[in-house]
Amino acid sequence: MRDSRRARLVLALLLLTAFTLITLDYRSNAGGPFRTIGNAVFGPVERAVADVARPVGSFFGSLGHLSSYRADNAKLRKQNQALREQLRLTDAERARLRSMEQVMGLAGRAQFRIVPAQVIAVDGALGFEWTATIDVGSRDGIQTNMTVINGDGLVGKTVEVGPTTTTVLLGRDPKFTAGARLEGTNEIGHVDGGGRQPMTFTLLGSSSTMKPGDRLVSFASIGNRPFVAEVPIGRIVRVFPEPGQLFRTAVVAPFVDFTSIDVVGVVVASPRTIRRDSLLPPSPRPSPSQSRSPGRSPSPTPSPSGTG
Amino acid sequence: MRRLVSTAFVVTALLVQVTILNRIPLPNGRPDLVVLVVVALALVRGPEYGAILGFLSGLAADVVPPADHTMGRLALAYAAVGYAAGLLEDAEERSVFATVLVVAAGSALAVIGYAGVGALLGDERITLAALGNSLVATVIYDVVLAPFVVPVVSGAARRADPAGYGVRP
Repeated sequence: MRDSRRARLVLALLLLTAFTLITLDYRSNAGGPFRTIGNAVFGPVERAVADVARPVGSFFGSLGHLSSYRADNAKLRKQNQALREQLRLTDAERARLRSMEQVMGLAGRAQFRIVPAQVIAVDGALGFEWTATIDVGSRDGIQTNMTVINGDGLVGKTVEVGPTTTTVLLGRDPKFTAGARLEGTNEIGHVDGGGRQPMTFTLLGSSSTMKPGDRLVSFASIGNRPFVAEVPIGRIVRVFPEPGQLFRTAVVAPFVDFTSIDVVGVVVASPRTIRRDSLLPPSPRPSPSQSRSPGRSPSPTPSPSGTG
Repeated sequence: MRRLVSTAFVVTALLVQVTILNRIPLPNGRPDLVVLVVVALALVRGPEYGAILGFLSGLAADVVPPADHTMGRLALAYAAVGYAAGLLEDAEERSVFATVLVVAAGSALAVIGYAGVGALLGDERITLAALGNSLVATVIYDVVLAPFVVPVVSGAARRADPAGYGVRP
């Protein structure tokens, strides 16, 4: 053991500096200059590293989903021989292409103008944060508080924009909250990310009802920032019993698989009106499934396009 | 030279962390490479160097996208880790077991320091469940990675500066 007055003094000074920084940054609420610098400096490096590291990342990423792939595969075998062959051939490149098509498909149906992007880094500090860096920034027209989607639905919102990279707060993050509407009704509420706990939906208005299987879409924020309307969010899997509660709460299974987001789109412009529930997957399954990624079922028939 | 080696290790750790490690869907959490590097270097260089290195690494980790928390929280946590690990510098007959123990303690200290300040600031992400989860996961994964990372980093640091044993007062 070796300690000295000097080392202790240095430590005390550093801790004091850290506390000062924390106080300053905490008071200057969103972002602050440091994070902008961080995005500008580390963003390009991350982009470069991600380009090299992508195959590694997607390899490990797909490992985590082997079981669900297997389930999908079994279902498809019964359905469609050709599709099964295709699934077998699927490599990382084709998966990316497909997810890009899905994003474009959703955006096309909604007539959103989107900027496509790729996730290059995920998660901030020590496993407490669910955030992602995407490879587009202010040069591509991205601003803070824009909706981020992928082919399955709502991914998150932009929170910090650098020149060539943007930080996205994912729907799974405990800090995430978005207005939501129950499919086929006017009932609104809000969904909240839960971190490692499940996502929840709180229905405003005590008279209304919801049941497992009901689907949720986003409810537009004022001026469509941060959230545009009608983006699919998830499916209710369980409603908490609520003796004497004013608001009812339910557990939501999000359509987006937050552990493997790759290709996303940032909504930079949205039409004034979008037909209700027009963006939800075409055929609601009869049984409220408990499967991990309900929105992922590949539909052999192309969905009806454009609402005009 | 010393600085160059340390900087290279810290920056590499930070980038590998966010672009590769965090994308692996490990249950309950993930290892924290920066803690490992800070501990490994502090063990070679001593408490003063460890504290400064930890502080600067934490500062970088606070701003590397996609970090989204109050600046300075990781700087504070890692500075404490660097100092604490540095206290064990010079333990010539330090066993592998002791090193692993230091890594475990350092990881726990980092998580607790980060979460503690977060709790004081009213960060919604810091709940008891999240803390428990992150604490256990980070410690276990870091201990698993320690035998691979610490000797490499410490070894390179010693080679970069064969004579020096840290910043002596």
